[in-house]
Amino acid sequence: MTFTSYQFGVFVAVVFGAYYLPPLRRFQVQLLVAASVFFYGFGQPELLPLLLVAVLGTHICLVLAFENRTVWMPAGIVFNLGLLAFFKYKLLFVDAGAAALTGVAPLDFLLRLPLPIGISFFVFHNISLLVDLTREKRTVPLRDVFLYIIFFPQLVSGPITRAAQFMPQIVPKRINDVAFVEAAKWILVGYFFKLYVANNLNEMTSYMDFPLYETLRTQDRWLLVFLYSYQIYADFFGYSAIALGLGLLFGYRLPVNFNLPYISTSFSEFWTRWHISLSTWLRTYLYIPLGGNRHGVGRTYLNLMIVMTLGGLWHGASLSYALWGMAHGLLLVIERPFLKLIGNQSPAVRVIRMGIVFFCVTLLWIFFKLPNFDHALGYLQGMFIATDAPNPPKLFTNLALLYALPVIIQHIGIGALVDGRLRRWEPYLYGALGALAYLEAGPDSAFIYFQF
Amino acid sequence: MRQEPTLSWMVKCACVAAALLLACGLATARFGSALQQPAVTTRDGSLVTLNRYVREPTPDIVLVGSSVTWRLKEEYFSLPGVRNLALAGGSPVTGLEIVAGQASLPKVVLIETNILSREADRALTEAFSGGARADALLLRPVRTAVAAYETWNHAARDAVQARAGHDRLLSQPPDTFDNKIYLDRAREQMNDGDPTAPARANVVRIRGLIDDLQRRGAKVFLMHVPFAPEIEDTRLVRTTREIASEAFPDRALWLRVEPPMGELRWADGVHLDERSALIVVRAMESMLAARDGTRR
Repeated sequence: MTFTSYQFGVFVAVVFGAYYLPPLRRFQVQLLVAASVFFYGFGQPELLPLLLVAVLGTHICLVLAFENRTVWMPAGIVFNLGLLAFFKYKLLFVDAGAAALTGVAPLDFLLRLPLPIGISFFVFHNISLLVDLTREKRTVPLRDVFLYIIFFPQLVSGPITRAAQFMPQIVPKRINDVAFVEAAKWILVGYFFKLYVANNLNEMTSYMDFPLYETLRTQDRWLLVFLYSYQIYADFFGYSAIALGLGLLFGYRLPVNFNLPYISTSFSEFWTRWHISLSTWLRTYLYIPLGGNRHGVGRTYLNLMIVMTLGGLWHGASLSYALWGMAHGLLLVIERPFLKLIGNQSPAVRVIRMGIVFFCVTLLWIFFKLPNFDHALGYLQGMFIATDAPNPPKLFTNLALLYALPVIIQHIGIGALVDGRLRRWEPYLYGALGALAYLEAGPDSAFIYFQF
Repeated sequence: MRQEPTLSWMVKCACVAAALLLACGLATARFGSALQQPAVTTRDGSLVTLNRYVREPTPDIVLVGSSVTWRLKEEYFSLPGVRNLALAGGSPVTGLEIVAGQASLPKVVLIETNILSREADRALTEAFSGGARADALLLRPVRTAVAAYETWNHAARDAVQARAGHDRLLSQPPDTFDNKIYLDRAREQMNDGDPTAPARANVVRIRGLIDDLQRRGAKVFLMHVPFAPEIEDTRLVRTTREIASEAFPDRALWLRVEPPMGELRWADGVHLDERSALIVVRAMESMLAARDGTRR
């Protein structure tokens, strides 16, 4: 069940209605857990046992870690990383199409299971749970563990909420406390970015897939890379905004995941604005434990490279993802000595820096769009040589600009204007966004981050 | 205290959304889909073509087929009243079923037999059966604005200008583009897999539809659009040809399209380039004139 389906709308309405009914108030957590299980099982019922194993396994390790943190916290982390590695990287070692994989029936069954939706996200939730709660020595009931890990707005693609942020929010909720306007704003803007921007741009950027991209003219390859940059932002920002709005409807405040990333003036700033919950998680649970920047320049650079490469591999088992992460790590390393030397005060310098960061980030999205490294390289090569492809597809640049415009306007700072002088027009603007999301919705396409 | 602004905000928001939806609904009811919206994908393009077919008066000649025939643009024909319902990435059966599903039939139906291994698109045939149209209920404001701009900016050439442009193109030598990479890849793909089962199922369906169309007074011809010799020799094309010849042995049913092969180019290995498509169209028109007595 995806956020953009009619079934999901009905599902949310029913759960919301039941959630605030006075007789069911005592069972709000259980209701949300049941709803989340239904939500997950609706698409992949065969993987529900795996979700159960992941949550129960983590809970057992958590309980034991209160007795002996040194042994059981690492054991819980290894258990979760093992799950992630098994499902994400198994195809590096076995051919899923082979008639008999190992000859051991139960193992073959496991190997043939599809990648569980959202595994990268719930595994990170599990690790956060093990680290945060054992550090605080705070026990929680199993139902709270379930809710934290499988809360349906964040189950599939985040935001990756830290246990220390989420757990204190598990208290009885009242409908009078719901921030309806804020929730509506997040949900409307989320659907608008997904349906109007991302889905329409997806129609055009589908020409970036192999072998279609071979029919593109050089200038169209450039255009499409930039469109994909807008698309992936709109897609993931849209998802995160809907998740945040839904969380608010049920009384939970999830972390903001994006903060105008394309106006970043450095790569380190970019990672404080893009997929904030992932970069925060990596910093908290990987970069700092590795030593962060506390052990000299060389070690800091090494830590940055390790974190970013693993961050890339977290997205999937492909050379493209690893290189994407390494390239970002390299950019962080290269810029670090210059950050203090180059000023950031002059508007002209700021604009130039924004341009450079946006350009590099955009080029690297090619490795995201084309996880097959040869295809990504082929696409990149075609951007720098004049192509004489026969029958190139016609791309409507005016249409592309109109679909990408919301991302550009948002980054220019329309939000501040709406919050300020145009505040009285805010409900009308959001109403128009809602209507436009419906009227001008592009063909349905899965959220890009669902594959992770 | 808090409820009132929330309610007021929600009401204002809902009213604007409802007003916009209503305005677009009324605009669609008033103007219909008079403006052809930009086709971003081939699927969009197919919907535009099929909508126009069921909306406008029945043409004299209709072509159905795959992307091979899709390249034979309507404007290349000197005969008036030609509609090309070939679907890029599709099966000739889809177009044929849509044509047969209308109350009024064209005088001539040309069926391409090059690609018979694809299944008919049930969603399309159901959407367009019995004269139904698949227009959106609500106008898409951004696409409509772009459509208006494109229509204003790129007005169609008149027939005389178009003819002169085509003659100019034909007077030029054939393209010298080296398509070896594309040809090799296409040959590899077309040697892969066995088209026998789907092609046999399709010819049975086509046979039934031809009988129906002929009974209702339409003339039907089968045709094979020329491929490059290397492609003609692939498993897909050879098997399909054999199945089609076996299923339709009546030579009178076939329109032999025999353009000067040395003049034809397949830039991407499979599909005719613009000049070659023009040459094939001219060859088809001469054969049609000879067989059917269709005159300009």
